[in-house]
Amino acid sequence: MSTAPVETQKPAKITVQGLRKSFGANEVLKGIDVQIGEGEVVCIIGPSGSGKSTLLRCLNKLEEISAGQVVVDGFDVTDPKVDINEVRRHVGMVFQHFNLFPHMSVAENIMLAPVELKKATKAEAREQALKLLDRVGLRAKADARPASLSGGQKQRVAIARALAMSPGIMLFDEATSALDPEMVGEVLQVIRDLADEGMTMVLVTHEMGFAKEIGDRVVFMADGVVCESGPPSELFGNPQQERTKEFLSKVL
Amino acid sequence: MTQEDERDLKTPVSTGHSWPRVRALLGVVLGLLLLLGGVGSAMAQTSDSGVEGKTFVIGTDTTFAPFEFRQDGELTGIDMDLIRAIAESEGFKVEIRSLGFNAALQALTSNQVDGVIAGMSITDERKQVYDFSEPYFESGIQMAVARNNDDIKGYEDLKGKTVVAKTGSEGETYAKSIAGKYGFTVKSLDQSATMVESVKSGSAAAVFDDYPVLAYGIAQNSGLKAVTDKVPGGSYGFAVNKGKNTALLGAFNDGLAKMKANGEYQKILDKYLADPTAAAPSTFWDLLVKSFPALMSGLKNTLLVTIISFAVAMALGLLAGFMKISRNILLRGIATTFVNVFRGTPLLLWAFMFYFGIPQLIGQPINIWVAGVLTLSLNSGAYVAEIVRGGIQSVDPGQLEASRSLGLGYGKSMQKVVVPQAFKMMTPSLINQLIIMLKDSSLLLAIGFAELLYQGQQIYAANFRVTETLLIVGAIYFIAIMALTKLANFADRRFNK
Ligand SMILES: Nc1ncnc2c1ncn2[C@@H]1O[C@H](COP(=O)(O)OP(=O)(O)OP(=O)(O)O)[C@@H](O)[C@H]1O
Ligand SMILES: [Mg+2]
Repeated sequence: MSTAPVETQKPAKITVQGLRKSFGANEVLKGIDVQIGEGEVVCIIGPSGSGKSTLLRCLNKLEEISAGQVVVDGFDVTDPKVDINEVRRHVGMVFQHFNLFPHMSVAENIMLAPVELKKATKAEAREQALKLLDRVGLRAKADARPASLSGGQKQRVAIARALAMSPGIMLFDEATSALDPEMVGEVLQVIRDLADEGMTMVLVTHEMGFAKEIGDRVVFMADGVVCESGPPSELFGNPQQERTKEFLSKVL
Repeated sequence: MTQEDERDLKTPVSTGHSWPRVRALLGVVLGLLLLLGGVGSAMAQTSDSGVEGKTFVIGTDTTFAPFEFRQDGELTGIDMDLIRAIAESEGFKVEIRSLGFNAALQALTSNQVDGVIAGMSITDERKQVYDFSEPYFESGIQMAVARNNDDIKGYEDLKGKTVVAKTGSEGETYAKSIAGKYGFTVKSLDQSATMVESVKSGSAAAVFDDYPVLAYGIAQNSGLKAVTDKVPGGSYGFAVNKGKNTALLGAFNDGLAKMKANGEYQKILDKYLADPTAAAPSTFWDLLVKSFPALMSGLKNTLLVTIISFAVAMALGLLAGFMKISRNILLRGIATTFVNVFRGTPLLLWAFMFYFGIPQLIGQPINIWVAGVLTLSLNSGAYVAEIVRGGIQSVDPGQLEASRSLGLGYGKSMQKVVVPQAFKMMTPSLINQLIIMLKDSSLLLAIGFAELLYQGQQIYAANFRVTETLLIVGAIYFIAIMALTKLANFADRRFNK
C-alpha cells in the first residue's frame, strides 16, 4: 500500500476511544473503547438494538461520530481534515443485504472502485476481478447480473467487491443473516479463508458457533456499551457478567 | 392601461382575448408591473412631414374575420385590403404586424407601431389616448338562426328559448337588454365559431353578433342565416398615438374618401360580405388538402417548442431535484419554492405573464418562442424535479452506502450508482411528462403562438367547419403522440437495459 499506516512496532489496526453516537436525543453508543490488532479477528455479539451495527458503521464513518476518537489504519477518522474516501479504501465492508449494484454485471461491480479511483485500467481491473471471483469460487458468473444469483453467491460477490481495493481491514455486518441456511456455509468458508490469510476483521454476527470457531476475541455489547470481551473460550465458557450469561443462555 | 382589457364593441372570431377573469387578474398584475418598471419609450418614431415614400409599421389583430385573418397563410381581410389600397394611392408603404388586439394597442401606446387597424371601435375612452381616423366601417348587431330554421323570424319567436352571444361584446349587451322583454335567456360564449356550432347543433336558438362577422360566416357557409335588421352599433376607425403621426392619419382619411368616391371601398366590402351563394361547399378531402400545410407548420412548431422546452425542463428539473435532496437548507428552500410556485399556479397564467407582463417590465417585446419555452419548461421543470427527487429517493440507501464504503465520493457514487438506477425508474414518468407537455403546448394559442391547435382555430375561424377541422387536428395530435411514445419507449429499452 502506498499510503502506509504510521504505526510501526505494536501494530494496532483499529483504536476506538470514548466513542459516543446519538441519533437525535437517542444515545446509541455510550462510550466505547476497543483496540483491534493487526491480523486479529474480532466478533461482536449482543442483543438487537445494542448498537453493534452502529459501532461498525462508525469505523468507516458511514455514521457521523458524536464524540470520541476512532483511528483506523493510522487515520484519525474523526479529524475533519482526513479524507474519508482515502480511509475507506483501506476498509472493506460487507452488508447484510449485499447491496450489489443491480445495473452492473458481477465483474463490473468489482471493477467499479479500482477503475473510478484510477487504481487500474479497465483491463487490469477485470483481470483482478476475475482473480477475486476465483477466490470466492464464482469466476463463471463474471458477466452475470446480480439478480440472477442466489443469496450466497451474491454475498460472495459482495465480499470480492469489498476486497477490490486490497483493504487491510474487513468489516462484516451480519453477512449471513439474510441467507437461507444451506447457503450460510459457503459464505462462512470465504470468511474463514480470509481469516487464514491473516486479514484483520470485525464481524457482527449472530452465528455463535462461527464466532467461537473463528474469533480471536469476542466482544459482547449491550445497551451501547461493551459489556464484556475476551477470547471465545472464556466468554462463551465462563462469562463474568450477568448480562452476558443471560444473553448466552438465550442464544446458545 | 384601460384599452388592454377592454374589447367592448370588438368581437374576435378566434380565441385569445376572451378570458375575462384571467384578463382582469392580468390587468392587476400588469398594473403593478407598470408601476414598478415603467413603459418603454419611443421606438418607431416617424416625423410628421408628409408620408410619400415612407414605410409605416401597422399593428393588427391575429384573427378577426372578415377584417383580418389568414387565408392560405396570407394575412387578408377588409382592414388589410383597405390599408394596403390606401397606402398605394397615397404613396407610402406599410409593414403589417399581426400582434393580437391587446398587444397591438400596447405596441401603439409604446410607439412600437405607427398605427393600428384592427376592427377597433371608436370610443370616448380610447379617444383620450389615440387619435382616430374618420370611421371606415359602420358596424351593428344582428341575430342569426340555423339556415333550416323557419320558426324564428324575429325576437318575438324567442320566448322561452336560449340565445348565445360573445362574452363582453356589444351583441351580448344588446341581447341582455331585450331578453326580459321577449322572454329568452342569454348564454355567453368565447368564440364566434363555437356560437355558430351551438346554434347549428340546436343547443341555442339564435346568435347575436356583429353583422359583418355573421355576414362573413354566412358567406363561408357557416350554415346560418340572418333574420333581423341590424341594430346600429359602433363605428370602426384607424388609430395613431395621440398627437403622433398626424400626416399618416391625414393620408388615411384622404385615401378613404377617394376610395369611397370611386367605388373601391364598396368593392372590398362586397368581397367579404357578399351573399352566400358565392361560396361553393367543399368536401372533407378539400378541407384536408387546403388546411394541411398550415396544420403541418403548426405541428412543426408544437414539436419544436415541446422538444426545446423539455430539454430545458430536464436541466431545470435535474438541478432542482438534486437541490431538493441536498443537505443545504438554502438550496432545498430554493428548489422547494420553485416547485411549489410552478406546480401551484396555472400554466396559462405564466404564458400571459411572460408574454404580456415581462415586456411591460423590461420595456421591450419578448419573443413568443422565449415566452412559450419559459412557460412550458418552468411548469414542467417543477414536475420533473419531483420525478427526479422521487426517483433518487426510491433507490435503496444501501446502494449509496455500498458505493461510499468503497471509497467513491458522493458525486461519483451518485453518477455511477444512484442516478442510473433512479433514471430507470424515472423514465416512464418522464415520458408521461413529455406527452403532457406536448398537449399542454396547445395552451400557448392563448398568446398567439402558432402551434397546431392555434392553426386549427385559424382555419375554422375562417371557414366555420369546426368539427371537421378539430377532427383533423385531433388525429394529428394522436399520431404525433403515438409516434413520440413509441420513440421514447424504444430509447428507454435501448439505454435502460
Ligand atoms: N439511522 C438511524 N436513525 C435513528 N436511530 C437509529 C439509526 N440507526 C440505528 N438507530 C437506532 O440505534 C439503535 C442501535 O441500532 P443498531 O442497528 O446499531 O443495533 P444492532 O445492535 O445492530 O441491532 P440488530 O442486531 O438488530 O442489527 C437502535 O435503537 C436503532 O433504532
Ligand atoms: Mg445490526
